[in-house]
Amino acid sequence: MHNELVSHLNSTVSGCNATAVTPEIGDSSIFVDASHIKAVCEELATGEWLFHTLQVITGTDYEDRIEVSYILCSYTKNNELILKVKLPKPTSDSIPEIDSVCSVWKAANWQERECWDMVGVKFNGHPDHRRILCPEDWEGFPLRKDYVVQEEYHGMKVNPAEKINNADHHFFKKIQETLEDPKKISHSWKGE
Amino acid sequence: MAIELIENGEAIKSDLLTLNMGPQHPATHGVLRVEIKTDSEIVAEAIPHIGYLHRCMEKHCEHLDYRGVIPFTDRMDYLAAMSMEWGYALAIEKMLGTEVPKRAEYIRVMIGEMQRLASHLMFFGVYAIDLGAFSPFLYAFQKREFILRIFEEISGARLLYNYYWIGGVWNDVTDAQLRRIAKFVEEMKEELKKYHTLVGENKIFIDRTKNVAILTPEQIYSFGASGPVLRGSGLAHDLRKDRPYSLYSELDFDVQVGHGEKGTVGDCWDRYHVRMREMHESIKIIEQCLDGIEEGPVMGKVPKIIKVPEGEIFMRTECPRGELGYHLISDGGKTPYRLKVKSSCFTHTSMLGEMAPGQMIADFVATIGSIDIVLGEVDR
Repeated sequence: MHNELVSHLNSTVSGCNATAVTPEIGDSSIFVDASHIKAVCEELATGEWLFHTLQVITGTDYEDRIEVSYILCSYTKNNELILKVKLPKPTSDSIPEIDSVCSVWKAANWQERECWDMVGVKFNGHPDHRRILCPEDWEGFPLRKDYVVQEEYHGMKVNPAEKINNADHHFFKKIQETLEDPKKISHSWKGE
Repeated sequence: MAIELIENGEAIKSDLLTLNMGPQHPATHGVLRVEIKTDSEIVAEAIPHIGYLHRCMEKHCEHLDYRGVIPFTDRMDYLAAMSMEWGYALAIEKMLGTEVPKRAEYIRVMIGEMQRLASHLMFFGVYAIDLGAFSPFLYAFQKREFILRIFEEISGARLLYNYYWIGGVWNDVTDAQLRRIAKFVEEMKEELKKYHTLVGENKIFIDRTKNVAILTPEQIYSFGASGPVLRGSGLAHDLRKDRPYSLYSELDFDVQVGHGEKGTVGDCWDRYHVRMREMHESIKIIEQCLDGIEEGPVMGKVPKIIKVPEGEIFMRTECPRGELGYHLISDGGKTPYRLKVKSSCFTHTSMLGEMAPGQMIADFVATIGSIDIVLGEVDR
């Protein structure tokens, strides 16, 4: 299905540069150029493939890039597709940007807001570009790999030392170090 | 939207009043805050604000080994924790290529459907409370209590179970427990008929829910709604039928859809009724599992330290509230590189803004109840 879809996309949306990635284990995906994402999504949603539902938008922070995965599904054709774009790694004064697909699926509205809130990808043309889970004046994007929690928020200390359960941390660390065999801490492996 | 009042022959335009519903409002089912702009008693605009229960579980998971994530998935939808674990376990098993023993699969399906019963019973009880009837809540909780007790016996916890493990289930069920479940589902059939006459056919209930918050198939698809919300609008899509996982391809059950018996297809009554009829289907499935369950181990062969091969997977399962999807990205290490959860409650909450305009405030309460959200899953 993926190879068919790639040739279909390359012929209908010129310049989208679609390529399929089909690993041996796990799901396959299709990469397209970030600049053509809206045209590609419009084609997928309204064209013959009928991906009329956007399930989720996942932003992932890698060492050299940020990837945004659009997971689409078609109930009538019983298909699923992972559509991916690569965006440049953010620096201290730049954030990755991409066109919003809110006009294609209404589901994109909140999904893109979550992606902005958590990973820090800006969606151009989004009608309501705000944070969704964190407060509006929160600093940083939690799901980036280099995220450090801010120390203070409105005069309140974030993660005060006396509230951290150190005993718990030590306990689990000890378990990991001393008991390599999980059978010793649980009787639940009787199936083996 | 403002109503024009005629006073002394002149039209007066009234201003909109902003009302905060929640985050501590009993009808919002948790810590959901809805900012409502009202025009007398009609909702002109509703803006849901979420995040009051945000724990960033997705970030936590990046620092936990694959087994350690399971208790975190429980805490998303704490009213259907078994179903939350199931999807995660399936995703990892599919990546590892683990075979789950047949007995474990039967237990999983049976427990999963009992969780659906418990979750729908909860919906039935609190939805009646939302609409002003108190006693159905007591009926529902009496039956739900049995399910929670059984769950407590087999998993050690009432709500947050950590029972579905990668490769099988944590503990075996005994024959005595199976006999009690069989007796319970037999009682449940009669009980459900009682519920239908008590609430479903109640004149006041029907008047409060028919033709309220109608969702068209276009809206459903565009928003990506799933589960009973999707089926309430007359669309017969169920992952247990469309993309069967576990044993569902071998089991006999029907997909229930809304027909608009009392009002229009896709109204609150339809969504309510789909859930009630789904409970009958769940009972059918549980009975088949009780007949088919066989002796054997309940845990498959899983390496001591789980390392998921590099790659990604998107696993969808049909949970009581809708489809739950886990998008797992692995770099071959001991912890997930990225775990994104597609939550149906998140999707359904985003629809409130579209469903609300033009409704009475009391109908808006019925609307929130009918999509049956759990804020733990919305905020994660």
